[in-house]
Amino acid sequence: MKVDTTVRMGSLELRTPLLTGSGTFGYGDEFHTLVDYRALGGIVTKSISAHPRPGNPPPRICETPGGGIINSIGLANIGVDGFIADKVSALPIGETRVFISVVGDAVEEYVTVVEKLEQVDWVDGYELNLSCPNVKQGGLDIGGDWRAVAAIVREVRAATGRFLAVKLTPHQPRIAPVVEAAAGEGAEALTLTNTLVGMAVDVERRRPLLGAVTGGYSGPPLKPVALAMVWQAAQAVDVPIWASGGIVTGLDGVEFLLAGASGLQLGSVFFADTKAPGRILQEMCDYCERHGITRLADLTGKLEPL
Amino acid sequence: MSPVAEMGIVEEQIEISEGVVELTVRAPEIAGLSRAGQFVHVRVSTGFDPFLRRPMSVGPCGDGRLKLIFAIRGRGTRLLAGKLPGNTVDMIGPLGRGFDHPEEGVIPLLVAGGIGVVPLLLLNEQLPVGLERDFLLGVRSRTVLTVTDSEIERRHISVATDDGSLGYRGDVVQLLARRLDELDGRKVNIYGCGPGPMLTFLKRLCQERSIPAQVSLEVPMGCGVGACQSCAVLKADRKGYLLVCQDGPVFDIDAVDLSPEALP
Repeated sequence: MKVDTTVRMGSLELRTPLLTGSGTFGYGDEFHTLVDYRALGGIVTKSISAHPRPGNPPPRICETPGGGIINSIGLANIGVDGFIADKVSALPIGETRVFISVVGDAVEEYVTVVEKLEQVDWVDGYELNLSCPNVKQGGLDIGGDWRAVAAIVREVRAATGRFLAVKLTPHQPRIAPVVEAAAGEGAEALTLTNTLVGMAVDVERRRPLLGAVTGGYSGPPLKPVALAMVWQAAQAVDVPIWASGGIVTGLDGVEFLLAGASGLQLGSVFFADTKAPGRILQEMCDYCERHGITRLADLTGKLEPL
Repeated sequence: MSPVAEMGIVEEQIEISEGVVELTVRAPEIAGLSRAGQFVHVRVSTGFDPFLRRPMSVGPCGDGRLKLIFAIRGRGTRLLAGKLPGNTVDMIGPLGRGFDHPEEGVIPLLVAGGIGVVPLLLLNEQLPVGLERDFLLGVRSRTVLTVTDSEIERRHISVATDDGSLGYRGDVVQLLARRLDELDGRKVNIYGCGPGPMLTFLKRLCQERSIPAQVSLEVPMGCGVGACQSCAVLKADRKGYLLVCQDGPVFDIDAVDLSPEALP
């Protein structure tokens, strides 16, 4: 049995539901000889800002027991002008869809970055990062406030007709108002979730393990949190949901699809297994074959009541 | 050069000294491509805990095999140390920028601290046969040597120990200073790898005597290929960062900040 892996997201069709999670896949070419792009429906680049950002002081990554990691990159990137000038040849244009993650300190910066990217023809869409835990602005302050989310999505929506996704923070007392605000202003996909704020300590040296003390917690331990948010968001809105949080196996992906996701972002897993896209896609197809399902997309939202 | 993913097969596992392990791994592709100073990104778990790969300098290699030599420092390296002949090792490599060989007439001085000897063992092999060189190794004590006694003899490695239990009593940078005095102004290039304090002293000595040096750095790392930007080190001018996985792990000593604050 051949399983159909294509998924439809509004105006776009993706070859598979698998995407890369912003920040873990660089500008798109770093894993070039190691990753099978055919297994990906698209890549989401690291977040691009209006101007270059140097990033946070090191150390920028550490591990926690149970398979977690915490990162504190601080949105280091070359800025939108450098990105457009230097990274076109790097991007897997034509091999898979290319979504640009956009970040800013304020509404104007998001719009500036998108307007500049509107001038090039190789962008399939944007993912607004409204949830980075590692910078003072452009992060949690915005992502947890539905009015701020609405304002940014509205302004960016006015600047582009391209596909527009919005990445949200897990630090929300209630998810519904925020996802409703984003969807109401024209977001075509909602990415849930960004990392959780986390911290780890070297007890022998009595020091934090990260230069910025706190960072973004990700990896398999994040999955239950992300799963709950995906499910809650799917109850609240009809727009496609891109799940992100600890997906390392095909069955993780199936869980998220059943909870209501349409897209699945692979992030931290690339640090452990660069062959993850092909492997995870195969594991999901194996699941479908076992259950007599012919289209991966048919799993979305098919969670049965207890 | 493009890195490859390769499943190596362990052929031998030996303990060089207390807590220092050498794995001989059959991995023809990576072994054939590696330049001294480059590293492999090694998966230590068959699952996802610990999650991250461990960057390890490529040790001596040839004949389709490479040596991974490491100190057991935590859960990841302990798992790796438990690999037995026949077990597999999932590696990506070779990664990063290696050492540049010295120009003609310049004497390479290899200066290692502890487990930092590993990339220099490969450099020592890859330097032209018969080229005059010096190979210095500093360790705390002879009980924690990072190379075997027979290698020390065969490779003519001069050892410094903090406690004087073998060779020169003192640190390896002091030993280097003495050697430089003996060389009396002849042109040299220094190749260094070792713990933070050693690199701090090494940079100071190189600056005082205006000697060019390349050093290999080790920091916590994520992807290993430049995507995640986790392995940043401060530039010498403290304006921005370089990535160990992509811009290094070998840097010109003047390019990076090696002060104690920068090497926590």
